Amino acid sequence: MSSDTGAATGARRGFGGYIGRIQSLSTFVIFAALFIFFAVMSPGNYFTSRDNLLIFLATEAEFGIIALAVGILMISGEFDLSVGSVLAFCSLTFIKLYGTGMHGLLALVLTIGTGVAIGLFHGIVTVKAQIPSFITTLGGLLLWRGVTLFWSGGLQEGLDVERIPVLYSVLGGTTIGFVPVQFIWMIGITLVAVFFVSYHKVGNWVYVTGDNKLAARAMGIRTDRIKIACFAVVGAAVGFVSVMQMFRSGTFTARAGDGLELQMVAAAVLGGTALTGGIGSVLGIFWGALIIALIENGLVMMRVQYWWTFTVFGAIIIISVITTKMIEKRRAMTG
Amino acid sequence: MADRRSAAAEAAGEHRRTGDGNLVRMVGIDKYFGRVCALRGVDLEVKYDEILGLVGDNGAGKSTLIKILSGFYTADRGEIYFEGKKARIGTPSDAKALGIETVYQEQALAPHVSIPRNVFMGRELTKAFGILDHKRMHEESMRTIENLGLRIKDTGAIVEALSGGQRQGVAIARVLYFKAKLVILDEPTIALSVKESQQVMDFIQQLKSEGISVVFITHNLFHAFQIAERFVVLSRGEVLTDVRREDSSLEHLSKLIISGEHDE
Repeated sequence: MSSDTGAATGARRGFGGYIGRIQSLSTFVIFAALFIFFAVMSPGNYFTSRDNLLIFLATEAEFGIIALAVGILMISGEFDLSVGSVLAFCSLTFIKLYGTGMHGLLALVLTIGTGVAIGLFHGIVTVKAQIPSFITTLGGLLLWRGVTLFWSGGLQEGLDVERIPVLYSVLGGTTIGFVPVQFIWMIGITLVAVFFVSYHKVGNWVYVTGDNKLAARAMGIRTDRIKIACFAVVGAAVGFVSVMQMFRSGTFTARAGDGLELQMVAAAVLGGTALTGGIGSVLGIFWGALIIALIENGLVMMRVQYWWTFTVFGAIIIISVITTKMIEKRRAMTG
Repeated sequence: MADRRSAAAEAAGEHRRTGDGNLVRMVGIDKYFGRVCALRGVDLEVKYDEILGLVGDNGAGKSTLIKILSGFYTADRGEIYFEGKKARIGTPSDAKALGIETVYQEQALAPHVSIPRNVFMGRELTKAFGILDHKRMHEESMRTIENLGLRIKDTGAIVEALSGGQRQGVAIARVLYFKAKLVILDEPTIALSVKESQQVMDFIQQLKSEGISVVFITHNLFHAFQIAERFVVLSRGEVLTDVRREDSSLEHLSKLIISGEHDE
């Protein structure tokens, strides 16, 4: 996986690959520094308690899976600001399906299908109507939250997660040593993403679509389809995570996923993904998501009031975009 | 390299025997954008082994015409014959399947992606299941680039780190590798220094020597006049003149383009 950042530039040697490694090294250093900071600063060492580390890894996995999909979509040159609302909508879909007595596995598949359908919808509207995806998915952000609130009446709903013990243990309840099962999913999905993004021709199509759509199109790549597919992947990831989250918390709330969209963008840009498309790596997004989840968890453990996290994420987005730009500029000059 | 060159030359020779001497013949092409007429009854021929200069002022219809040939637009009326046979070019892929490749000025390459990934963009070399063959892509692209006489020190660099001339070289290496029969170059020298422009003209000569026909679109008549053997001048969507270099001069062409009128 260490060659992942360089693979987009095809360079294991060369300056581009060097910078790629520096960038993921620096995200790793930030992660380590923050980890130590929270470990030392959290009152009563709650942060490093086994319970909290389990929660951290489980929530991180939920973050990370969606962030990967959002980051890949950003590499293709588009945004998705609707993931938080779609997450709530998918959660509700799942709990309603499950509540009919449907088999949990079928409900899971249908929920992922719902996510994919929403992603396809966002993608097709964006590409065919030639609207910036920023706008389409800002619409989606409000639309799906509204539908969720309306359908659920804003009420919470419990989920009898132990009705299907197998699904529960696969998606939420188990740990392997120190590692919650969600984190295993996250690692597996990351490896699949590395394969497709860096080692498969489809990954090259995603990069060139985001980097220079006209060139890609002139070379016969169907850039519209690539983008729509990336939206669908985001939908699938959100659908999957919505169910995973339900199995962890056992509850549906209509406010699930609130603010998630900006955390995902923050994770992606922190990992070196360009807002303009064409630049980014799975490994970078992986570390970016780890850091965002760490900050979220760490601030709670330090008993900082929750809304401060929004301030912190806002600052992170701005700072990491500036840093990425500076690195970019230096690369263009030195190269 | 040597055997590929002779194979290409041989193939070209074969066509010459079967065809009417033209690689491409576009007949009576009309193109409208809404109610605006971009092209009206345009005929264009490209011969085998020929460098054709397509010149004209802004808005003359040069880009529209070559975008029809490269599958970006479809003509509202008219026919295209390729190697003597009627061709239907609806998409860029159709054009590529025929052997028509286009090198656009700033649109040819993805700047943040490596050279091999650019050369093989959309036509990646793969092992089983679509897995990229990074090693072969690297070797093949670098070999083609060297054959073109282009020297790139850091072969792992992304395209953004290359000079303008080198970038054109990479784009031209791509059409060379995929054995194009016709290469369309859209303003290949527009953003380049004098020295880099010269390098690009050398690349174009190289294409011709490989048996590839070239359509060279430019504003820069000095550049066009150095290498083009024939000129087609467009003005307001119509062909003004179709003239061989020896029957023309720089002054003559300049005057035509500026006045936009037939000379008597």
